[in-house]
Amino acid sequence: MRPPAIAHSVDRRTFLKASVSAAGALLVTIPLPPRSLSAATRAAEASTWCVYLTLHPDNTAELMSPVMEMGQFMRTTGPMILADEMDLDWSLLTITWDEPVLMRKNGKGELDSRYGQVSAGGSQSVRNNWDYMRQAGATVRRMLVEEAAARWRMSPDSLIAQDSFVIDPAGDRRISYGELAAKAARRRVRPEQIKLKQRSEYRIMGKDAVSADIRDIVMGRPLFGIDEEYPNALQAVIERAPALHADIASYNREAVLAMPGVRHVIEMPRKIEDHWPGGDAQVLAAGIAVVADSLWAAMQGRKALQARWKNGTSDDSAQQIQEFRRLVAGDGVANKLIDRGDVDAAFATADLVLDQTYEKPLFAHACMEPFNCIADIRSDSATVITGHQVPHWVAREVENITGIDGLKVTVVSKRMGGGFGRRGDLDYVREAVTLSYRIKQPVKVTWTREDDIQRDFFDAAAVMRVRAALKNKRIVGWQHRQAQTRGRPEASEYFPANVVSNYRVEQFASTSNIPCGPWRAPTILQWAFATESMLDELAHAAGEDPLAFRLQWLQPYREYPIENWAAKTIHSGRMAACYEAAARLADWGRPRPKGTGLGIAGQFTFGSYAACVLEVSVSEDNELKLLHAWGAIDCGFAINPNHIRSQMEGGFVDGLNAALFNDARVSEGRVVNDNFGSLRWIRLREAPLSIEVAIIDSGYGPTGVGEPPLPPAGAALANAIFAACGKRVRRMPIADSFRI
Amino acid sequence: MTIEFTLNREPVAASNDKADMPLLWFLREDLRLKGTKFACGIGQCGACTVLANGNPVRSCVMRLADTQGMAITTIEGLARDERQLHPVQQAWIEVDVPQCGYCQSGQILSAVALLERTPNPTDADIDAAMTNICRCGTYVRIRKAVKAAALRSKATRL
Repeated sequence: MRPPAIAHSVDRRTFLKASVSAAGALLVTIPLPPRSLSAATRAAEASTWCVYLTLHPDNTAELMSPVMEMGQFMRTTGPMILADEMDLDWSLLTITWDEPVLMRKNGKGELDSRYGQVSAGGSQSVRNNWDYMRQAGATVRRMLVEEAAARWRMSPDSLIAQDSFVIDPAGDRRISYGELAAKAARRRVRPEQIKLKQRSEYRIMGKDAVSADIRDIVMGRPLFGIDEEYPNALQAVIERAPALHADIASYNREAVLAMPGVRHVIEMPRKIEDHWPGGDAQVLAAGIAVVADSLWAAMQGRKALQARWKNGTSDDSAQQIQEFRRLVAGDGVANKLIDRGDVDAAFATADLVLDQTYEKPLFAHACMEPFNCIADIRSDSATVITGHQVPHWVAREVENITGIDGLKVTVVSKRMGGGFGRRGDLDYVREAVTLSYRIKQPVKVTWTREDDIQRDFFDAAAVMRVRAALKNKRIVGWQHRQAQTRGRPEASEYFPANVVSNYRVEQFASTSNIPCGPWRAPTILQWAFATESMLDELAHAAGEDPLAFRLQWLQPYREYPIENWAAKTIHSGRMAACYEAAARLADWGRPRPKGTGLGIAGQFTFGSYAACVLEVSVSEDNELKLLHAWGAIDCGFAINPNHIRSQMEGGFVDGLNAALFNDARVSEGRVVNDNFGSLRWIRLREAPLSIEVAIIDSGYGPTGVGEPPLPPAGAALANAIFAACGKRVRRMPIADSFRI
Repeated sequence: MTIEFTLNREPVAASNDKADMPLLWFLREDLRLKGTKFACGIGQCGACTVLANGNPVRSCVMRLADTQGMAITTIEGLARDERQLHPVQQAWIEVDVPQCGYCQSGQILSAVALLERTPNPTDADIDAAMTNICRCGTYVRIRKAVKAAALRSKATRL
């Protein structure tokens, strides 16, 4: 495989700015391009500044890493890119916290993040920052080298930079960045002098680094929004209508107002609006806020409300799944999303047709840190402190609710105790902003676990009927026909598209009121569950080894153009290499004892490729044990292998949890299993004992690792169960079918 | 009447009218010790784990009155000295366990309690003792770090 040439499209006129502080430190500000804009628009708009780096005279360095952190390690990865190109000594670098997120307004007066790339989502942060961070680092390095060269009256090209020093190899002398910093700040470097390193020259990237925040975390330091306090803030909790779309019928207002510490009892209106993945959804439930001097007093007040509700919907998730089954099984006309080749002819002339139906329930997010937000809405300015994946949306929301200019809103972004897509929603922000605006005092809103699961925007439930046609042991036709709560299959352009030329995807619209939203690799785990389970069933039907069958299926190994927001191409050879690497680690060919089996599955997700092999045992009395797992990922250049392995381990476990246990159930319009007592969640004893990971160096530029490890897990589990005991599971949650 | 207990080696007194308040909220809201985390409120997930006389307890379901006379340790009190972290904390750094990090105070304290009782835990011991939920799924590293901490503690004892 030949990696594509990496394009450098930095507009040099808008590149970094350097200045000197009173204390003699070099301050560097580095722009990042706004997200999702054409190259031309980027060049025009990248006139503001993002990453802040300070080089102090004592040679220590500080970096403000602006990308939101929710456990995906961008606070470590981003600085590694910059520091390596700068030849910084990593041990002299401190990565700072809590700087407010800067905003701007675009030409249309719409509020945006001043730096388009600080949001976290879609596994895009590394990709979006890669070129710019390297250019910035190389530019600063050149400024320092030129300054040293001027002092020594030498050519800059005869000097080298290493570990925060500029070194003169011939004269055996060196000078620290800190010493050079103040004067280097005044240097203007010619663009043609800026040379990016070759991979062989990297000293920080490509090697394992631990989390920038590891020490703070193991010492229990208050890093999260829920740990924040704010002067004069009142504490609010909100009793929300348990059933979708319900209104307040009655509650005990006077009694609660009379309780110690309770200051306000405020009705919160219901709000329904268009919401991803499409259609009107309840984005705020009707509620009753209890605002008190302390969180404890507010919680006591909430208990005493004795609220009653009326006019809720009767949504029932089990009935909706029944309806989805009926739709995909029948011959009703569905919306054709893709119809390529001649699918009907392929089926008509096939040697063998398999027709199977796969199911998944609603997945809850259950971010470990319950939602919380501090809002201080003043007369013409505001401060919001919270953990949110897209901070400029927070400021925009303040503008929408209060009319305060979004540029006068200070958003302080805290580390998130998990995001998984759910912290891109604004409900908890809206509540705090609305309350503070109303009572003219700072307010902190805190949710409980039950609030979180009841008011989740779930990953849609889906029933997927897959028909596949084999001829001469090759797949000649594929039809994916599905119904789901909301939205559509996001992965329909991924394999089997292109590899199977007679290919159809069709979908039924649903009338559910259950709100859905982005959930780590949205709808892609279910896609892999259906596709990779069917591949396994086809391999067994054809009498082929499941690994060999997949490798054969993906040939010829080549790149295909695709229409997808996160990727323009997909490469069957890169996918195949992941299967092979995971299988090699698992020692795929080695026979396992009776009752033990291996399952393999892979998936392309947003630019990266991942495959997993899982080993399970199923006992005579139906006890399922997850033993070991082996994974392989091709995410292009591996900036920090340690954290790529960590995401592979955690993402795979998250996917296994989804396949085994994650099953939010709605009855009479309300979520019935709204805490970890009734919504089971994977624990250490159920997870594989070990997960070994291979990182494939395909020579491509880096792509994301937050989501890609997760999708293969469900199918790998189902396929491993089949290999262990001959039972084919086509319905999640899989724990319903076994003892575990 | 007051409720008196030891918190991180210091005496603490609380008014008896807080008898029914869970220890979690007393720690977080009254004492402003934020290292102990709220996540489920029903004693299921273990994010709020503290040590009570060396035993791991879910502080979200432990009434303050029930701490009377006990020695409570939270994550803030685990290292006696900022420069000398507890072997479990050191192992957590060595293995680089956390992702989002929210559950890790509770995981670390559960591991401390396990290793106090069982200095050389088997996988089965770890399975039985480490029941806290990690939403990021860092279990493989938690298992590794517990074993690494056992080795560190052994080295310290020798």
